[in-house]
Amino acid sequence: MLLAGFLGLQYDFRWSVLWESPFGYWLLQGVKNTIILSLLAWVIALVLGIALGILRTAPWRVPRAVATAYVEFFRNTPLLVQLFFWYFAVPQILPAGPIRDAVNSLNVDTPLLTLNYEFLAALAGLGVYTSARVGETIRAGIQSIPRQQTEAALSSGLSLVQVYRHVLIPVGLRIVIPPMATEFLSIFKNSSLAVTIGFAEITFQTQQVNSYTFKGLEAVTAATLIYLAISLTIAAFMSRMERQYAIPGLIARGATRE
Amino acid sequence: MDLDWTIIVRNWPVLLSGFVNTLKLAVLAIGASFVLGVVAGALRLSRSPYLHYPAVLYIEIIRGVPLIMVIFWFYFLAPILAGRPLDNFTSALIAFIVFEAAYLAEIVRAGIQSVPLGQVQAAISTGLTHRQAMGHVILPQAIRNMIPALVTRFIVLFMDTSLAYIIGYRELTRVARIIAEREFRAFEVYTFIAIVYFVCTYAMSLVAQRLERRLGPA
Amino acid sequence: MKKSLGVLLALLFVTTAVAPALAETVLEKINRTGTLTAGTRTASIPFAFINEKNEWIGFSIDFLEAVQARLEKKLGKPIKLDKKEVTPATRIPLVANRTIDVECGSTTYTRGRDETVDFSINFFFTGSQLLVKKGSGVKSLADVAGKRVGAAQGTTNEKAVRAQQPRADLVTFQDHAAGFLALEQGKIVAYVTDGILLAGLAAKTKNPKDYEVVGDLFTKDPYSCIVPENDSKWRDFVNHTLMELIDNGKYFEMYDMWFGEKGVVQYPMSAQVRNFMIMQSMPE
Repeated sequence: MLLAGFLGLQYDFRWSVLWESPFGYWLLQGVKNTIILSLLAWVIALVLGIALGILRTAPWRVPRAVATAYVEFFRNTPLLVQLFFWYFAVPQILPAGPIRDAVNSLNVDTPLLTLNYEFLAALAGLGVYTSARVGETIRAGIQSIPRQQTEAALSSGLSLVQVYRHVLIPVGLRIVIPPMATEFLSIFKNSSLAVTIGFAEITFQTQQVNSYTFKGLEAVTAATLIYLAISLTIAAFMSRMERQYAIPGLIARGATRE
Repeated sequence: MDLDWTIIVRNWPVLLSGFVNTLKLAVLAIGASFVLGVVAGALRLSRSPYLHYPAVLYIEIIRGVPLIMVIFWFYFLAPILAGRPLDNFTSALIAFIVFEAAYLAEIVRAGIQSVPLGQVQAAISTGLTHRQAMGHVILPQAIRNMIPALVTRFIVLFMDTSLAYIIGYRELTRVARIIAEREFRAFEVYTFIAIVYFVCTYAMSLVAQRLERRLGPA
Repeated sequence: MKKSLGVLLALLFVTTAVAPALAETVLEKINRTGTLTAGTRTASIPFAFINEKNEWIGFSIDFLEAVQARLEKKLGKPIKLDKKEVTPATRIPLVANRTIDVECGSTTYTRGRDETVDFSINFFFTGSQLLVKKGSGVKSLADVAGKRVGAAQGTTNEKAVRAQQPRADLVTFQDHAAGFLALEQGKIVAYVTDGILLAGLAAKTKNPKDYEVVGDLFTKDPYSCIVPENDSKWRDFVNHTLMELIDNGKYFEMYDMWFGEKGVVQYPMSAQVRNFMIMQSMPE
């Protein structure tokens, strides 16, 4: 490898740290944790986001206002602050007692990963933050369905619930596949912030490898390539989904990624 | 639930300095990344492969990695590339500019591409050169189309400044954390800065709405 | 997809190959810019920390100011001391790539680290211990098997816990203040770092009586300043500054100010350490 380049730094590239044990193992752990966190957070974001999308397009003022407040607040505060809030601030205001102690000292080893408060806080923060953005996207999707469709469905005897269930949600979701793909990718990238509350995802592990070997640039390169691999995979997967499920003539504005 | 909100008042000066640092970083990054984004977006649309492919490479790579990674890259790599040490503000600023410009480039590209092709043809058929057509006909319309997406992106950039804390830049979130950890009062401090961020971004989106209304529909 | 990755790697190596060499020494750079860029900590009490008045002070910071004063004498011009915050994870890379000229905080001199950076002579001695809440029942490293223990990422303490008590559930934080907050909230049973820093953390809190430092020193932690690799003149300069302070007694005065009876943390110097420091000062 070209080591000579780093003249001023006397930096010896040693790519073998990437697969020496335990460093390679740590990096793999990081990848596993990132994937698990991102997928679970996505599930939360999707469920909450659909609920928010419905509430914001429903004809009742109070739920609509509540949903709007939720979306505006969680979209417009930094994810980092939200993570700190879940990890440090929430335990502070829990009533002192067994609940608070249990939350703080949670440490359950499951076959997939260690359940501790670092994970829960990261999951909550990431999930809630993304749910606000997903909710906004789904709202835009539902609202872009031509009014006539809703009116036709209602006039043909379907109740509002049924209209949502059979027309608005399915069509709405298919319209917004491109921006949803962006949000899905964002969750993976945003999971990197969980390093600040001690969750052992990829960025955390690269710092860890760096502190043991001082070969930080190799680790950062590896992490970068891993993230790139993940994004390109998701992009490919999502464009296949778009091709399969897209409704011609009703592609959401911004069909180019973001 | 015993909360002590006076710590906000007591630490007001340092909170203010953190906020000023946030603004410094955000304003400079927004300005510079917009310029770079326009350039990158234009390059991406270029038909010359020497301009097009590097632009695509840059945009796709940056958009595929988290901001934290880009910050780390610049933090460790930039002093080497620049040939001399850089302070953390400069490193953070460069990282933000490079990162956000890639996203802005895509918005610029979408904006330009959203101008109907007929306009281009009409402009050229009235005798304008390609460059004049770009400058007088296409870009103004494109910019009007881009404004919502641009402002959204600027808002995201403003919130992303909180990540500069990782390399020690004393912006609002870092200052909040120092206070929270010293006083053991995380709830009060983080709630306060959440409100600060929210007020700022809300103000930004109001300004954007007014701007959009003034410039009229494309 | 693969083509982009390939091009990326190629670009990376091309960039590194044309990176300009940093041939300037630290002293030349300080002379040219008139600034001493020093890394230090914000929560290593009492070496470098931010107090309630939001002043950035400490034993190591006093030493940095001594280096600054000696630079002014040597170079014959005013030198600005620019303090930059570093964490255990960033202090070595930042010195290695010369973003900062020197780091004086609470860094342990280890042979492993010596391969990437250089160190000055020692200015303090301590070792790893545990900080726990009084009444926790934890008295040593052996007691934390199966329990959650905190340490700062990138420290010798973290590595020692991993090596000596692999059955502990290690939670890593970015800096000591975060770990201490976690201890206060009950997220961890014990926080591990150098004994002197633990005493400092506890001393500065509202209820120092709630905490205690327990356990024998399970690592050896001599503190030094970090300087960039292979710059003997600069390392000599930093070393000679410390030697001068030892010779004229200022070092012991500084020590007394921070660790004496009126100090932030009471940690009297043992005779052994006093002798060692005096012997470290070489004749002129």
